Parts: sequence; C-alpha cells; structure tokens
Amino acid sequence: MNKYEKAALAAVGLMVLAAGAIFFYAPTDALQHEPQRIFYLHVSSAIAAYGCFAVVLIGGVIYLRNESLAADRFAHAGALVGVIFTTVTLVMGMLWAKPIWGNFWAWDARLTSTLVLWIIYAGYLLVRRLAEPGRQAARFAAVVGIFGFIDVPVVHFSVTWWRTQHPGPIVVRDALPPEMLATFLFTMACTIVLAAVMIAIRYRIETLSDGQVAEVAARASTVTPRGPEPTR
Amino acid sequence: MTNSFSVAVAVARKDLTAEWRTRELVPALAQFVVLALVIANFGFQIDAHNAPSIAPGVLWFALVFAGLVAFGRAFAAEREQASLEAMLMTPASPVAIFAGKALAAALLLVVCEAVLLPALALFFGTPISAPIVAAVLLATIGMAALGCLFAAMVARMRSRELLLPLLTLPLWIPFIVAGGHAVQVAMGASGSYDQALALLLDFDILFVVLTSLAARFVLDE
Repeated sequence: MNKYEKAALAAVGLMVLAAGAIFFYAPTDALQHEPQRIFYLHVSSAIAAYGCFAVVLIGGVIYLRNESLAADRFAHAGALVGVIFTTVTLVMGMLWAKPIWGNFWAWDARLTSTLVLWIIYAGYLLVRRLAEPGRQAARFAAVVGIFGFIDVPVVHFSVTWWRTQHPGPIVVRDALPPEMLATFLFTMACTIVLAAVMIAIRYRIETLSDGQVAEVAARASTVTPRGPEPTR
Repeated sequence: MTNSFSVAVAVARKDLTAEWRTRELVPALAQFVVLALVIANFGFQIDAHNAPSIAPGVLWFALVFAGLVAFGRAFAAEREQASLEAMLMTPASPVAIFAGKALAAALLLVVCEAVLLPALALFFGTPISAPIVAAVLLATIGMAALGCLFAAMVARMRSRELLLPLLTLPLWIPFIVAGGHAVQVAMGASGSYDQALALLLDFDILFVVLTSLAARFVLDE
C-alpha cells in the first residue's frame, strides 16, 4: 500500500465518520426535519469546490507567469475535482429544494452562478482535451480558468441585483445550535481533506502520464532519428 | 500608444475592407436574424398582447447566436491563409492586433443589429427607442471582447465550432442578465433602467481590461 492509497483510505474513513455525525449526532431541525441534514455535505462540498477552483486560478496565473509544469498539473487536477464537488453541491441542493421549496430548481443568484461555475469548468476540461497537449492546452486552459473564476462572482452579483431566494449564510450569522455547528465544521474539514487527497492523486496521475508520453516520444525518436529537413 | 492605436485601426480596416469586397458575413447574418424572428413567432404564438414580454428574449437569443457566428468567422480567414502568424511576426503588439480584430467584429455585429432591431419592430410591433439601442450597443462591446478572445483560442483547436459557444455563452451571461433587464424595462416592464445600463458599463470595463490582458497569451500561442 503506497502513501496515496493510505491517504485515500483515511479520507474515506473521515467521510464515514462525518456521515455518522450528520445522522446520529446532529439534532433534527424543528422546521425542515430530516432534509436539513443535506445542508452539512451541501455547503461543505460547495466550499471544497471553491477551494479547488482557487487552485485552478492560482495554478493558471503561476503557469502564465513562468510556465511551471507543476502549477499546470495542479490546475488541471483542481478543475477535475472541483467539477465533481460542484456536481455534488448541485445535486444535493436540488434534493433539498424539492421538499423545502417545492421545486428542484429556482433561478436564484446562488443557483445560477453555481450552474455557470459547473458549465465553465466543464468547458475548461474540454479545452484541455481538445487543445494540442502541452503548452497550448496549458495556456488556453489557464485563460479559461482565470476568466471562469472572475465570471462567477459577476454572474452572482448581476442576478442578486435582480432576484434571490437562497437561504443566507446562517453559519456566520451564529444561528446554528452548537451540535449542528460542530457537525458542520467537522464535515467541512473532512470534505476539504477528501478534496485535497483527490487533487494529490490526480496530480500524481498527470505526472505519471506526462512521464509516459515523454518516454514514448524518446523511444520513437531513437528508432527513427530525424534527418535533415528536405530542401525544396 | 498612438502606434498601437493605429495598428488596431489598420487591422480593423483590413477586416472591414475584406468583408466589404466579399460581402459574405453581413448578408448571411442579416438573413439569419430574420429567420430567428420567424421561428420565434411560430414557436411562441405571438400576438399584440404578449409581444412586449416575449420580444426582449427573442432579441437576445437572435443577437447571441448571430454574435457567435460573427466572432467565429473573425479568425476563420486568418486561419485559412495562416495570416495571423504573419501579422504576429511584425513588431506590432499582439494586443493591438487583437483589439483591431475585435473592433471589426463588433462593427459587423452592429450592422447586423441595424437589421435585427427594425425587423423586431416590424414583426413584433415593439418600439425602437434610444434606450434599447444604447443597451444593445453597450452589451455588444463586452460581448465582442470576450467573443473574439475565445474565437482566437478555438481557431487553433480541433472541434472549434463546438467549443466556441460552450466557452463564450457562460461568460456572456452577465451581459444578457443586465442587457435583458434594460431592454425589458425599455419595452414597458417595471425596474430600473439606469441601474441596468450602469451595470452593463461596469461589465464592459471589467471584461475589456481582462481580455486585453489575456490576449497576449492566446494570440502568441
């Protein structure tokens, strides 16, 4: 068992513990009853997703400044993991909204901007796939990642100014009972650990596959050495 | 500074001259927006009563898709003749070249809007007023900056027709939210027109600055 497998096992164990806290430790909400338990993982994975996209932004900016391969791999890994956590956020939010709001979806600022977030980073992953691998893919993806990160608050702001119905940030307003707050903070910490482990594993995969590509290229060049360019 | 400015104007003039000589894009776009109105008319069962509430949406739909086609074409000729590389080899700054391309594409879209707005007024019975024209023109600036940046990007990639809408549309949403609201208010809905226009102006400034910072990395590749 290498260190990545150990880390993955630990992260999964932490998530199981968090599930235990959510279902057996946290009290049932007086108004929303059981659906309220969705809140813990929903908000945690949203925060983890923002963290991942911050990795994409920082990796992109560093790559554009000094073409660091490591920064680019972190950005790619961050986008992939971030899209997964955004999907979790959206799906759990819709499951919560159906019993509480009566609808799966509302065109609220937070929902709209999260959906746009998902679409932009799904586009980022497509750019990585369709651009020429190497410098072009890394540069184009960095630009998309930076624009995406800036666009999301702008979308959020433009829709807030228009209409909004998403519950406000209750955690910072000190409205949670201590058991709920403890469960939330624990779930959030576990989710962030999970995201970090996923990014680390993905980074390792990128490094290995880049190494393989380089090896194949090196072998190909030894078999057919490039002769002088044909003269016209 | 003056040098970059004259480079941008020269690039824009070159693109507009090429369009004037071939007359390819503008007639096609004009036909496209009129077709979009025809389809909207049958899709929505429009009458005099509901036209003012549906027309703003139809306007933005037609404009957004015409914009995608216009900006997608902006780099098509350069790609076919590999002339962008030649332009980039000159001492002119890539940002100035990009600004010229964006300016020309924006002007072509404005010509297309000059067909769209009267056609909308004709078929849907909505007014053409200065507030509507101002909102559409302000949105065009930011949309052209973003659209040209990603058009320049996808021009060097596979499946470019597929990717351009996927990258551009999410970034255009702020313009559609604010511009859509401004046009709705100008056509009789309640709300604050001035605030929507101020928002459009803010987004224009933000994205024009950002695209000019990013253009170097996209064009140089």
